[in-house]
Amino acid sequence: MKQRTFYIIVLAALILAACGGGPAGTGDKVTVRIGWAGSPDTLNPGMAVLAESYTLFELVYDSMYELNLDGTFTLTLAESANLSDDALVWTYKIRDDVKFHDGVPLTAEDIVFSYNLYQSTEDYPWMGSYTGYFETMEATDNNEVVITLSEPIPNIESQLVFLYVLPKHIWENESAVEFENTAMIGSGPFKMVEYKQSEFVQLAANKEHFLTPPKVDEAIFQTFENTDALVQALKTGQMDMITEMPATAVATLEKEANVDIYVGAPFAPTVTDIILNQVSEENCPEGDGVCTGHPALQDRNVRLALAYATDKKQIVDIVLLGNGAPGLTLIPDGLGVWYNDSLKDYEFDLAKAQQILDDAGYKDSDGDGIRNMPDGSRNLTFRVNWPSDSVDGPRLAELLSGMWDKLDIKTELQAMDPDALTAVCCPAFDFDVMLWGWGSDPDPSLLLSVMTTDEIPTGSSETGYSNPEFDALYAQQAVELNFDKRVEIVWKMQEIVHNDVVYIIPYYDPNIQAFRTDRFTGWITDQAKIEFSDPSSLVVIEPVK
Amino acid sequence: MFVLVLNFFLFRVLPGDPARAGVHDPRLKKDSIEAIRVRFGLDKPVINCFETLNPIKLGSCDINPLDTQFFIYLKNLVTGELGISYHTNRPVATVLAERLWNTVLLIGAGQILSITVGAFFGVFAAWKARTAIDYGALATSLVVWSLPTFWLGIILLFWGSANGLPIGGKATPGMSSAPLMQQWGDIARHMILPTVTYTIVYMGEYMLIMRSSLMDVLSEDYILTAKAKGLGVFQILRDHALKNAMLPLVTIIAINLGFTVAGAIQIETVFSWPGLGGAIFEAVNRRDFPVLQGAFLLIAVTVIVANLIADLTYSYLDPRVHTE
Repeated sequence: MKQRTFYIIVLAALILAACGGGPAGTGDKVTVRIGWAGSPDTLNPGMAVLAESYTLFELVYDSMYELNLDGTFTLTLAESANLSDDALVWTYKIRDDVKFHDGVPLTAEDIVFSYNLYQSTEDYPWMGSYTGYFETMEATDNNEVVITLSEPIPNIESQLVFLYVLPKHIWENESAVEFENTAMIGSGPFKMVEYKQSEFVQLAANKEHFLTPPKVDEAIFQTFENTDALVQALKTGQMDMITEMPATAVATLEKEANVDIYVGAPFAPTVTDIILNQVSEENCPEGDGVCTGHPALQDRNVRLALAYATDKKQIVDIVLLGNGAPGLTLIPDGLGVWYNDSLKDYEFDLAKAQQILDDAGYKDSDGDGIRNMPDGSRNLTFRVNWPSDSVDGPRLAELLSGMWDKLDIKTELQAMDPDALTAVCCPAFDFDVMLWGWGSDPDPSLLLSVMTTDEIPTGSSETGYSNPEFDALYAQQAVELNFDKRVEIVWKMQEIVHNDVVYIIPYYDPNIQAFRTDRFTGWITDQAKIEFSDPSSLVVIEPVK
Repeated sequence: MFVLVLNFFLFRVLPGDPARAGVHDPRLKKDSIEAIRVRFGLDKPVINCFETLNPIKLGSCDINPLDTQFFIYLKNLVTGELGISYHTNRPVATVLAERLWNTVLLIGAGQILSITVGAFFGVFAAWKARTAIDYGALATSLVVWSLPTFWLGIILLFWGSANGLPIGGKATPGMSSAPLMQQWGDIARHMILPTVTYTIVYMGEYMLIMRSSLMDVLSEDYILTAKAKGLGVFQILRDHALKNAMLPLVTIIAINLGFTVAGAIQIETVFSWPGLGGAIFEAVNRRDFPVLQGAFLLIAVTVIVANLIADLTYSYLDPRVHTE
């Protein structure tokens, strides 16, 4: 009897499950549903690390400048910005019509409070580097923000763009570090409705936004930990757009009539790089440095030969399944104007690579099938390491091994735990070749600094590259206030590191996204960056009639 | 106690330092790294030296034993403090509590279904032993038992999404303002696919155990006697056979219950179910040691409790096992 009761209960549960619910009745609201593979780590803008968090911050908060998809900036919170003659004092006149989502007006006070919070909270991992040049920040009676710099800098926009303006009346009562900020009161084009970590984020349109009120009523981000489910959700129409899509899914979705796929640089571009340890003996960091790198890699000829022997097209075809373009230098194409597209890459040419090595004296002098140093001592055998959590690492390593093998250069492949990799990397320089990557700021300065001599002991320089001319240009661009001149210097710097083959850049990581064409129109698809979850797209899309 | 100690050292002997995990960004300054280390107590020594363990020196002797990570860990445990997640910056206890309820919901439904279905077919197969029905049930359960969970999950996911079933998460976003009945219905709809996957995978095991242990019992003399007395099939099963045949099944259920709190990691990942398994999976990827430490503690406690319950159930099912 007991068992029978059981069945009845189970049966009842199943019937309830089958009949109950149905898709949420959203009424007449226009809701755009976005599927993504991740989830924000925290809604506290100071503590956040993951790109998903920043996607939300861009939608819910405003900052002094808006970063456009072409790499330029637009003034948003301020009507005007003025720079003093000594280039040290910026004065921003704040708009009078800006309101937080709870109705409280946003004033210069809130802005200065936020900047101070970011500057003074040491626990914020990244904010310190954006506020480093700010000596004083003041709010005047006239609703102006006055920022005094410690030295003239050419890129105030990129310093301010990620400093989201928080409501002082809420944050002043909270702990800067522990505050979870789930209500997320901001002033941006979308407001937070409900947040369930690792499940979904529900945003409502802020139709009163002073600049860009969205046309849709609601935006929902749903997390799919399994990318097959993510793709399936778009296919069956459960989602209207998906982001963070795997390259393997492109072929499946291409066949769908109502789905368009776009590949481009992400909002925050990242670079995959092949790091060649070229630190010289005199630059080996005191104390931390082990410097066991293969001496051959200090020779530009060897690095050049490796570059010629690296078939980037094949790498893109296999690792990214053709969804991407070969890379050039550490400055990615997603940086728009800063990217030097006039450089000509080293065409894949095995014969030329062999010729370079032969001419430089790297011959197989002991007859074991592997080239030796010119003095006949060491074999050209390189250790190749990559972080074990990298999905593309093993494929890239195998491909490189095969390509360089044709040069009679041997490789020892070994994945390493990211922490262990950091430990041997820098400033220890206890490796030969590494496959890793960098995330880029909108401003090229940070990624250029990675190749300066000053960063060798700090651990930011992974290659140990040192060139006085490059260092001088770096210092020069850091104070060049004329935009065009600065672009010129930055382009010149890319030319130098490209000539010196500091890195080999196989590709810039692509962002693959897809949307249903039968739901919304207006997605911005004609820029170098493709980011449909950016406000630029989400405030302009409209339902298909 | 052993669990507590092992749990602590397991994550401390792993190479690397959580404060360095996110280091590969030029924006991260030395001061910030130091601040992060201080906040998570990583600047303190792991443990001080043990005089008795010399010459194996575990740590420096000239530090206050009460100021080591180990003692702080023990002290926090006593006060129910599990620490702060490195990744989400939220208290571990809150994160785990949120996830635990979801897992219990999913595993609970899955277990009840798989036990019921599995036991039913087990009894049926044992009763019809060595007939086509028995062999059919046997083959089916062997096949479903050996199906890879994630594969079955994906197959069901494709099938379900084509039939309009939700394939990710626990609830439709925006449902929390709807009436309670509708919310439950929505959750139930989201549960269908993961629960069915779970049921299919575990049902085979229960069926096999039930069948073989019941067949043992059915070959006993007292069953023959019962048959000779002219008792009906159901009466024999209910009054004479099932209780005795239940013992092995109870063991398996207890073990499974304990371990499945760790989640049906695969099922939760395939269906993006926000449960404990998913949390552990994510914490491993992000090397979020406080969350892992808390989750492992929780699993250890559950396994112990589940085994205790199994032992208590024994004495109920079999009066020869006494609790004295």
